[in-house]
Amino acid sequence: MTGGTLVYASGDAEPDCLDPHVGGNYPQALLSSQYLEPLVSRDADGAIIPWLAESWTTSEDGLTWDFTLRSDVTFTDGTAFDAAAVKANVEHLQNPETKSSTGYLAVGKVAAVEAVDATTARFTLSTPDSALLESLSQPWTAMESPTGLARGLDANCEAPVGTGPFVVDEWVKQDHVSLVRNDAYDSAPADSAHEGPAYLDSITWRFIPDSASRFAALQSGDVDIIDNAQPDTIVQAKDSKTIVDLDAPRPGASNRIELNAGQAPFDDAGVREAFVRSTDVNAGIESLFFGTAKRSYSPLSSAEATAYSDDSLFGYDLDAANELLDAAGWTTKDADGVRTKDGVRLTVRFPVSTNQSIPAEQSLFEQIQAGAGEAGFDVQLELLDLSSWYEALGTNAYEAVSAPYTKVGPDVLRVLYDSAGIVPAPSGYFANHAQLDDPALDDILTQASDTLDPDERAFLYEQAQQIILDGYYILPLYDQQNHFLLSTSLQGVRALPTVSTPVFADAWLVE
Amino acid sequence: MTAARPSTLGGRRLLGRIGARLAGAVFVLWAVVTVTFFAIRLIPGDPAQAYLGGPGSQASTEALERVRVEYGLDQPLLVQYASQLGRLAQGDLGVSASQRTPVTQILGEQLGGTLLLAVLALIVAWLLALGLTIWSTRGGRVSSAIGSGVELVAASLPQFWLGTVLISLFSTWLGWLPPVSTGGAAGLVLPVLTLAIPVAGFLAQVMREPLLDAQSAPFAVSAAARGETRTGMLLRHGLRHASVPAVNLSGWAFGYLISGAVVVETIFARPGLGRTLLQAVTVRDVPVVTGVVLVSALAYVIVLLIADAAAELLDPRDSRRRVTS
Repeated sequence: MTGGTLVYASGDAEPDCLDPHVGGNYPQALLSSQYLEPLVSRDADGAIIPWLAESWTTSEDGLTWDFTLRSDVTFTDGTAFDAAAVKANVEHLQNPETKSSTGYLAVGKVAAVEAVDATTARFTLSTPDSALLESLSQPWTAMESPTGLARGLDANCEAPVGTGPFVVDEWVKQDHVSLVRNDAYDSAPADSAHEGPAYLDSITWRFIPDSASRFAALQSGDVDIIDNAQPDTIVQAKDSKTIVDLDAPRPGASNRIELNAGQAPFDDAGVREAFVRSTDVNAGIESLFFGTAKRSYSPLSSAEATAYSDDSLFGYDLDAANELLDAAGWTTKDADGVRTKDGVRLTVRFPVSTNQSIPAEQSLFEQIQAGAGEAGFDVQLELLDLSSWYEALGTNAYEAVSAPYTKVGPDVLRVLYDSAGIVPAPSGYFANHAQLDDPALDDILTQASDTLDPDERAFLYEQAQQIILDGYYILPLYDQQNHFLLSTSLQGVRALPTVSTPVFADAWLVE
Repeated sequence: MTAARPSTLGGRRLLGRIGARLAGAVFVLWAVVTVTFFAIRLIPGDPAQAYLGGPGSQASTEALERVRVEYGLDQPLLVQYASQLGRLAQGDLGVSASQRTPVTQILGEQLGGTLLLAVLALIVAWLLALGLTIWSTRGGRVSSAIGSGVELVAASLPQFWLGTVLISLFSTWLGWLPPVSTGGAAGLVLPVLTLAIPVAGFLAQVMREPLLDAQSAPFAVSAAARGETRTGMLLRHGLRHASVPAVNLSGWAFGYLISGAVVVETIFARPGLGRTLLQAVTVRDVPVVTGVVLVSALAYVIVLLIADAAAELLDPRDSRRRVTS
């Protein structure tokens, strides 16, 4: 059961930096989950469980959190894991030099961290944050050796030092990253299958951008596991006796089309509903994803225990769509069959990021374009690279958009739908693409952020989701797809219930 | 004295030609840098966003500001362009915006793999083209028709399709070769074939006609009258005659191979300039894109010069009469 080298083939672009504090995207999280560990984790039911922190207490006002740390953990460079290390990590995330984006937002309400003693780290918050534990469970806020951080950004990017079951051994740019077992490992999270060092000797992490080549490499046995599996290969794998599918939807928001309620024509709820009702989304998903993606009717991923769904709002009904548009005053049609009102065409500009939407999803958008066209919408799909896509959002040149958002916990709703998220930063970036501006919703989201009572929190987030769904601000599609295909010779793999990255501490290779 | 005059004249002419070539090369490199710079920077969008994380990460304002200042993105475009030209003139390719590594180091690491791929593919393409044309022009009408059909199909195969088909055939079905390059020689076979087959089609197409002509040309008739064997004639006269346009085309083919590396390195997951370029374009990493494009242009210019010289050796008649690529 012990030994062997696992070969992982990633379809993502190679990260520029192996430290997920820098920037902070999913490809970094996939890799760093093997060598870095956060303070807490979350179990399959959505409850926060201990990891590097054994326990925690909160003050009455929710502004002071004391974390009791494990006293027996050492970073792989020999540096002790203690409260001073926790403080150094939060400060590293908050230092603008680090250029952290995801982790920076996660610790945004942390005003200071104090090392009370070696095993007690005291977090002082600027405002109460019921999402703090969820934020700290993410790989983007994982703990790194302060000695390692002190080497400077460039050196740390090459080989971050953590407490995880593997250690970064070598990074051959554009080729592979080698990870070797940490023989002294003994800090598995509370829900892992076994304690102590990993069974595998090492992991070779390769980058195979082409989906067909990646699958061919899995079939031929050159690699043991691939990520970013596309619907066509998942279906092929279902017929195979030697390949299995690990379906691990990402947490946070579902994949959904957001309708820009901040300007015409989607400032009218009837027009938003007409758009939603005009397309048979289920038929599209079925034909393009071959049953590999389940339809969502929620703003949240099914990975979130607090997700609330309402399928009654999203049934396909072209007649209803036409009536709604008539009622909204879009009664005339031009020569192209596009509805008009006061000489203005019913145009929906829909910028699509080719980095974020897989080919099957782009085809789904084309079907939605055709469906909405039946009702008289002129949907203008535009395939863009990431920078141009941000530009289209920043200049408000869109009526519909689909943007994934990975985050642990329902607090993602505050990021995406609180009216504060409409105000563009000087960079032009804002997260509230639906431009949902509802004081009642803001109030609910703020209360949910403040309360530490799980039941009350769940109730508030359910109310928030009802407002978002009832207002037809979004058209939910499916969970953010995250399929891994594994050779049956690889056993014991699981996806962490936090951000659904597969981990290999419990994995072994069978001959 | 009289004997020296032609060689001096020839030497001066040669120097003049080299000078003109060098000036042309410098102009090409400047044009390449300029077009690349503006092509990348004039498309809408903020490069700072692209440098920071990419999909799924939400860059903070502070981080964006930091990146803009660090890479001079807050300067007017023309100032950025001028300072880039200035740096390049001093041989400084700069530091990659996304990888935070000197561009020369990235190029040094990635150039070898791509050159190896391109050179091997060119050699294989020549062997395939020679084999095909010799076989098809020596046989009858049927083999000639098959030959020109194969050339046409080979020349029009898209690399991304060819690569995928070769993987399905030799890796998934037959299991003979690895589908992705893993460092060994076996991993080179499929990428080299993917690049070489279309080029072989082009080369064979330009070699066929001259080879047929050569067989009925006066020198061939007189050689045959002298008792030259058919094979001997083919090797000594026909191929030499026929390979001139193919050698000229090889300069162009090399450029095609370098650009084909983008596709082939992606399909076969090989490290190299092509993949580096693709990733750099996605994140708008101007220094890296410029570096890769410059090196590719330089390699192209050098190969064109070599092809020119080789064509001159094969057929020393007035070079102006030859068709150049």
